[in-house]
Amino acid sequence: MNRQRVASLMSSVTGLFLTIAIAFAIVVLMILILSDEPGRAIYYFFIGPFTRAYYLGNMLNQSIGLMFTGLGIAVAFKSSTFNLGGEGQAYSGAIVATVIMLALPNMPGFVGGTAAIVAAILMGAFIAGLSGFFGMKWGTDQLISSFLLSAAVILIINYLVTGPLDDPTNSMLTTPRIGQQYQLLRIFKPSKLDISIVFAAILAIGTYFFMQRSHWGYEMRMCGLNREFAKYAGINVEKYLMVPMAISGGFHGLAGAIVVMGTHYRGLKGVTAGLGWNGIAVALIAKNNPIAVIPAALFFAYLDAGARAAMLHSDVTFELASIARAMIFFLVTAQALYGLFNSKKKVTK
Amino acid sequence: MAYLQMHGITKLYQTSGVLANNAVDLSIEENEVHAVIGENGAGKSTLMKLLYGLEHPDAGETFFRGERVEIKDPFAANRLGIGMVHQHFKLVPDFTVAENVVLGTEPRKRGIFIDRQSAIGHVAKVIEDHGFSIDPKRKVKELTVGQMQQVEIIKMLYKNAELLILDEPTSVLTEQEIERLFETLRNLLSRGKTIILITHKLEEVMDMSDRVTVMRGGKVVAVKRTVDVDKRELSRLMVGKDILLQVDRPAKEPGETILEMQGVTICCRGQQRPLLDGVDLKVRAGEIVGIAGVGGNGLAEIEDVIGGLRHPGSGKMFLNGEDVTRYGAEQLREAGLAYVPADRLNRGASLQSSVRENCIVTKHHDFLKAGVLLQRGIREFTRQLIDHFSISAGEGMRAGNLSGGNIQKMILARELSAESNFILFSEPTWGLDIASSQFVYEQMMDLRKRDAAVLLISSNLDEILGLADTILVMYRGRVVGRLANTEDVTKDIIGEYMLGIRDDSQGVAVASPSGVRGE
Repeated sequence: MNRQRVASLMSSVTGLFLTIAIAFAIVVLMILILSDEPGRAIYYFFIGPFTRAYYLGNMLNQSIGLMFTGLGIAVAFKSSTFNLGGEGQAYSGAIVATVIMLALPNMPGFVGGTAAIVAAILMGAFIAGLSGFFGMKWGTDQLISSFLLSAAVILIINYLVTGPLDDPTNSMLTTPRIGQQYQLLRIFKPSKLDISIVFAAILAIGTYFFMQRSHWGYEMRMCGLNREFAKYAGINVEKYLMVPMAISGGFHGLAGAIVVMGTHYRGLKGVTAGLGWNGIAVALIAKNNPIAVIPAALFFAYLDAGARAAMLHSDVTFELASIARAMIFFLVTAQALYGLFNSKKKVTK
Repeated sequence: MAYLQMHGITKLYQTSGVLANNAVDLSIEENEVHAVIGENGAGKSTLMKLLYGLEHPDAGETFFRGERVEIKDPFAANRLGIGMVHQHFKLVPDFTVAENVVLGTEPRKRGIFIDRQSAIGHVAKVIEDHGFSIDPKRKVKELTVGQMQQVEIIKMLYKNAELLILDEPTSVLTEQEIERLFETLRNLLSRGKTIILITHKLEEVMDMSDRVTVMRGGKVVAVKRTVDVDKRELSRLMVGKDILLQVDRPAKEPGETILEMQGVTICCRGQQRPLLDGVDLKVRAGEIVGIAGVGGNGLAEIEDVIGGLRHPGSGKMFLNGEDVTRYGAEQLREAGLAYVPADRLNRGASLQSSVRENCIVTKHHDFLKAGVLLQRGIREFTRQLIDHFSISAGEGMRAGNLSGGNIQKMILARELSAESNFILFSEPTWGLDIASSQFVYEQMMDLRKRDAAVLLISSNLDEILGLADTILVMYRGRVVGRLANTEDVTKDIIGEYMLGIRDDSQGVAVASPSGVRGE
């Protein structure tokens, strides 16, 4: 790494922290105006997630799914393909994994679990890859096709969960519970934090090296940075309209499977709700750098946990918490996007 | 003082290092048609962009109607009464004529609503006042190209433009539409408007203009009254005197044919004449073939076809005896193509990537082991290229931080490292300084010595005359001249072919494509 890159990294990190500080200040101001006990509300909003092991563990647990989806989006965006269908891909992964685990109640955990995860990845990859394929074949807009496909898939799965797959013994809209052997090891009881967080972190590093060092990663990045150049040099640019989408979908499917196996143990209706969209926000904050996805996902989970703690322990309402969280997110993603467009502009000049 | 006076205008493009305008003076009288002519890259478009506020000069002053003005952006230009009609229309196809014309300055109702009726009324008045016949309620996408151009002109008139700049206005028009445009311009002239006409078509200059400014290499080389000059003189002024390049081109008998095009034709939907019209060409081992032509006459298309980025509608292409007509870039490179593109900042390099990643892009397969790129080999390879071609860059530097000359050296290094027997150079020295250009020329002569086949596409005639063994001249998608580069061939002759004054191809090319191939 040379000095110039260090300098640009420093400036972008400083910018990010400055934005976060401004956003936090606005949230504090909002709480001061709207809360009757602002001290308490502010304390729980910012410090709340660290006050109890249970909160901390759940916060970390929530970041796992975001890491997977954030990685998926980062890979797609780095290759200049646009996957807006993360919601449906993650949801379908969750349901496919659940169905397989329910169908194999007596299989050893490792075998059946692996089968469930692989199937979830393939399912997500298939749905996203389909958008990629349409784009490759007929030049359809991936942004729109992936979004619409996902919207349709969500409705189909909702039907399955509330209809054919519904657990009649349970009043919730959910499938039956998966077998004991498929439930991932919890490492920070009583919270729901499970062992897959280690896996997520390793995967993030692996993805970084995949993008930087592997054959596909190199070709994908070249397509992402300058498609004309890639085409001129003989890289199969059509193929890389589909491959990054499929990889991205695979990450989303994986996220769905892990959420079921580690957190809920059932295919609840809307079990992965928010993972797809929030993955985009995470990737934007991380500027599509797979390693930066880890802190970005933690940051997102922290905001969520803080809002929840503030609701439980003070007079902060759900609405206020949501607005505060959205406020921070809005500013941070705006800053990330600004950087993105700025760097593009410099090149085209 | 003249109506518009630009004085000492200088513009240096930092990123590419091109001095596009070098102390340019331009003087326009009120109510005249003033043509600004020059080859591609002569600086005429830059000068107009500066006048219209799309770019800002590094030095120089502009006086308009006797007052010194600083034109920050097109809005400022519009306020002064300067309007520009771009070569590529900036219209919204789904909007009506009226909506397009008022876009940005819409009449309002109660502050927030667009007042469509008054918009149509205003626009209809402009149309009537200036003798156009176009329905303001029609959608732009239903119009012909000529009518779209009228809408662009109406747009400027609606903004009360007194000085109209037309950038290559006839390049997209049919003969009848051109006639119609000229009528419009004469009409505007009779209403006291002033017109700047940017073009490289000499007939139009002779037909339409009162005076003409000739630009070459970023400088004004002549200002003439049109009645005092003829086409031949203008052509000579545009291309300039012969400059002998410092390259040694010993006589050499060419070997077997390496690249061959047979009747390559590209038609474009909606375009009246083909972009490439039955192009035949042959490049033999140890030979440099130069293709000259003014932009828009098929040079870019030839480049795209050979580079595998565009497939011909009909005709065939052979490389080393193999039919490569339908090949993509990857297969073509395998068949023996190396290619230095004209658009080096976008096509030839990825500016956001490192020098390393730029250098290996065409041969990264060589550094793979089990799907992983071996960093050590890549570093070593890149360092070798940097040393061998004396590129001033680090292997990890971002390509975008290199100077224009070094970016071109990097591209050359990469393409020459393939050691293929056919190399296409397109505008290889455009925007480069003398030392870098010289370096490129030496590389080309070296390739010729080593019996590679070289195709040089260039709008720089000195380059063509200095390097090529055989010269082809393109005009309107056709090869209009094929000349062995002997003492008798001069810039003037090539210039006349380039501008359509001479044409050897009429009738022959269609009748028997093989007949005209021998020089």
